[in-house]
This record gives sequence, structure tokens and C-alpha cells, in this order.
Amino acid sequence: MIEVSNLSKSYGEIQAVDDVSFTIPDGEFVVVLGESGAGKSTLLRCLNGITEPTEGSITINGDPVQGPRDDVAMVFQQHYLIEEMSAYNNALTGALGRTSFFNSLLGRYPEEDKYEALRALETVGLLEESGQSVGQMSGGQQQRVGIARALVQKPNLLLADEPVASLDPASAEQVMAYIRAAADERGLSTLASLHQVNIAREFGERFLGMKDGEVIFDGYRDDLTVDVIDEIYGTIETEAIRTEAEA
Amino acid sequence: MSTEPESEQSVSGAVQEQFTRLRINKRARQVFGLFALVVFGWLFSLALGQVGFSIAEIMEYWPDFRDALGQFFPPGEIFGIPFVDTGAYWSFIQQNNLLFELQTNGAGVAFWNWTFVPGQMFITLAMGFAGTVLGLPGALLLGVLGSERVTPYPFNFIFRGTMSVIRAIPALVWALIYIPLGGVTPFTATLAIGTDTMGNLGRLFTDALEEVEDGPIEAIGSTGASGPQRVVFGMLSQVFSPFIAWTMYILEINTRIAVTMGLIGGGGLGYVLQVQRGLFKYTNMMATILVIFVLVISVEVVSQRVRAYIRGTEESQGLIALIVEFPQRMVRTLWQ
Repeated sequence: MIEVSNLSKSYGEIQAVDDVSFTIPDGEFVVVLGESGAGKSTLLRCLNGITEPTEGSITINGDPVQGPRDDVAMVFQQHYLIEEMSAYNNALTGALGRTSFFNSLLGRYPEEDKYEALRALETVGLLEESGQSVGQMSGGQQQRVGIARALVQKPNLLLADEPVASLDPASAEQVMAYIRAAADERGLSTLASLHQVNIAREFGERFLGMKDGEVIFDGYRDDLTVDVIDEIYGTIETEAIRTEAEA
Repeated sequence: MSTEPESEQSVSGAVQEQFTRLRINKRARQVFGLFALVVFGWLFSLALGQVGFSIAEIMEYWPDFRDALGQFFPPGEIFGIPFVDTGAYWSFIQQNNLLFELQTNGAGVAFWNWTFVPGQMFITLAMGFAGTVLGLPGALLLGVLGSERVTPYPFNFIFRGTMSVIRAIPALVWALIYIPLGGVTPFTATLAIGTDTMGNLGRLFTDALEEVEDGPIEAIGSTGASGPQRVVFGMLSQVFSPFIAWTMYILEINTRIAVTMGLIGGGGLGYVLQVQRGLFKYTNMMATILVIFVLVISVEVVSQRVRAYIRGTEESQGLIALIVEFPQRMVRTLWQ
């Protein structure tokens, strides 16, 4: 269980996350919605321990988050893989946290971790391509390698920060489907930030809506009405613009 | 003022003002340019005076140089066509074993019933290669620790400074410093090249590390990796190819430095060149220079091919790809 209580983070004058509290039971797939700058990334980075919160606390199964830890895994928007290494070796970097420096330097990972890396690549449908260098892969494939790396960490919590924001619609759907499948298969609690409402609706179980650093909506799919979305994103005026253009 | 527009009425006051301002600016630039040219000319003439440059000297000694040129390029003929006497070069190259020899008995690397006796060219190449390899660990250590992203700000200058000091002293001077340690030998020259490599290659490594992206480092950190693991997997893995490419580039430079090492007595082709110059055997000097040319160009060609192969941009790197990927293919066929 993940418990976030009274979490705040400010960068000087800017209040990126403002007094946020919520609880996620094990195995729930949560989508964080919000405009750019609503505080989604900062929230995820705090959960990951990359960013230190100004106030409040985060605990995972009662264990407070105080810095990067190997049981919290993150999938980044720009994949952030080592492009010169193969998909397999990138996935293996997920096991660095439980491997000593010298063994990792010599590539001497335990057999179990090597199988874990291949199993993760199989989960994201890249078993055949595991020897390919990541630099030569498509954006969607690269993002799937990023998911594999996260899975190799054997996390209790999977975070995904705008994982499909820089992908074409078809790849975006596919990558989200893989994240959802991986989470279901391993019973992972997941927090993914997204700004495509249609994709969020399709894959999300529970939704957190953020605006100006605050959580203004917390509910399940049935509660996520058009009014709620309007509230999160402000009034979306595309409809009005289109009608005007057609007139 | 003849340059003013003819119909002043058609131009607004602001335009006129701007026109005048631009013209004044242009005049100022011209005056400054003239002044800079005068200063530059004065410095150049000072420098020429300092080195005792004189056209008269060139005129006076031109006949001597022309005679020397005649020996550098001894006249001969190929198939009846007048050309330089390549036979004279070749006999010197062979007599002094500048390239290599294949003997039926002798000391060297043996294969079948032949013995490969490396010539002077290989001594020079060995100095460059061994010097590069010896300097590589030091360059890696200083280069990585000199990066601001590995060592926090004021402390990284300890390592940057060390590299600057090493670079400030030319390789030839390092050889002079090491003479009490190893005498005037190829060994001393190799030590000097190794030291020089630490300074030069280390600096290139530091520069390459400045261009590393932050994202992957952060991502590796987010997996719960330790500090050293972040450096190796987040940073160094990003610059693996550039590091190899820079090392190959330094190998090219070190091969050239190895030639100059011979001039102070370090052995190899440079030493042969120095001895022949002392004997005024200009034909032999040119023969040695030809071998230097072949060696340096060969190292450059190999180095550039390897760099192109690492970049992986050019598909048609036939030979290198064939050699490098051969063991992989071999293992695969044996395994399956």
C-alpha cells in the first residue's frame, strides 16, 4: 500500500505540488491527469525519490521514501536509455540496485537477473529484439525497453511519467497496453501520468486529476464525467473553434 | 556631402539620423581596422627580426639546397622515362631493415619456417602504440575525475590542473626529463608518449563527458544504483564510442610523435633520419621519409576505418566489419 500524506513541493515561489494526500491499495492502476505544469511530474518524481518534497511524507508498505530505491521503478517520457547498449543490457541496468559495483562492472549479474531481464523483454514483446542496440529501435520499442528496465527492478510501485507523450497514436496505445499488461501480470501498483484523456479512460482504473499542484479529483472510471475533465483541463475550446471554422 | 540622398524632403528625420549614425560607425570601423593592420604588421616584422629571417640568406644558399634536392630525389629512370631513382631508396630501405625482413633463421616472430624480423618502422609504431596503451588508464582516471559531473566543482580542478601541467610540457621535453630513468632509448620515448597521452587524451575525455545527457544518468539513479554505478552506467556508457574514437585519434598523433622521438636519439625511423642527416646522405633521408609517410598514413587509414565502424554510420566498411565480426559469426556457427 502506498500512502501519500500532505505532500508539498515548492521551487522558490512556485508551488508545484500543494498539500496532496491519497492512498493506493496494492495492485491498483492509477492515472494522473492534468495540464502541463499541473504538478504531475513533480508528484511522480517525489514518489520515486529523485525529488525531495518540501513537506509531507510518502510511505510504501510502511517504509518511508527518502531517496531513489530499487523497489520504486520509473518509466520516463524520453525513455532515458543508454542508446549504445542493447535492449537486454539496458533492461539489466534495472538490477544495478542489487548488484555490487565490481560485479556490475564485469557484467556478472546473477543468472536469476539475466532471466528476469529476458522475461521483462518478453512481457513487452521484445524478446526477439533483445540483442539489438536501442539507438536503432523505433520510439515505441525504446519506450517498451524502458518498461522492461523498470520491471527488472522487481518494483512494488511502477511510475510512468508521460510515457506516451512523444509517440504516435498507434504506438501510444500499444505502449500503454504493455504497461497495463505488465502491471496486471505482476500485480503492480501503478501511477501513470497522461494528458490524452481518451487513452487514460481506456487504460485507467482510478483517476487523480491535478490542477495547479492540487488534486481536484480522485475517483474511478464512472465518476470521470465530461464535467470533471473540463474542470481538470479548463474549458476545452476545440469544439468551439471547429464550429467556427465550419461556419 | 555628396553621399546624402538627393531629395532630402522624401526622407524622415529619423531615417536621416540613422543613416548618419551608420556612416559614422562604418568610418570608425575602417579607422580601427587600419590601426589593427599596422599593429599586426609591426608585430610580424618584430618576429621576423627575432628569428633572423633574411631573403639574402635564402638567395645565397639556394645552390646548396638545389644540390641537396638533387640527392633527395636522385635522377634515374623507369622503363626509359626519366624519374627518381627508386632503386636507391629501396636498397637503403632493405639494407637497414626499415620495413621488415623474412628470414629462414633468426630472432623474431616465427611462423611456419619463416621468421618475421620487425624493422625500424615497427619500433616507431611500437613506441606510439605502447605509449598510447600505457597512458590510457591515467587518461581515463584523470579525464573522468576532471569532469564537473563526477567531482564537485572546485575539486575537479585538481585533476584538470594536473592534465594542463602535463600538456604544457611537450612530449619531447618529457623524454628529456625521463632520460635519467631509461637512457636515450625507445623505452624512455615510450614513457614520454604515455605521459603526454594522459594529458591530451584525458582532456578529450573530459570534454566528451561534458556532452553527456542528464536523462539517462537520472534514470540509472532511479533504479537505486550506487554512485559509482551511476558514473559507469549512466555517464561512461554514453561516451564509450567517442572514447574509443578519441583514443584512435591520439594513436595517430602518438605515431607522429614517435617519429620525432627518434630525432633526439629515441630509436626507430626518426633516429635513422637523424643519423643519415649527420652523414649528409640525403637520398637515404628521403628513403626514410617515404617509410615514415607509409607508416603514418597506414595508421591514419586504419584509425579512420575503425572510427567509422564504431560510429556505425557507414554500412560499407567492408574490411573492418569483416574482421571484427568474424569471431562472432564463428562462435555462432560453432554453438548452434
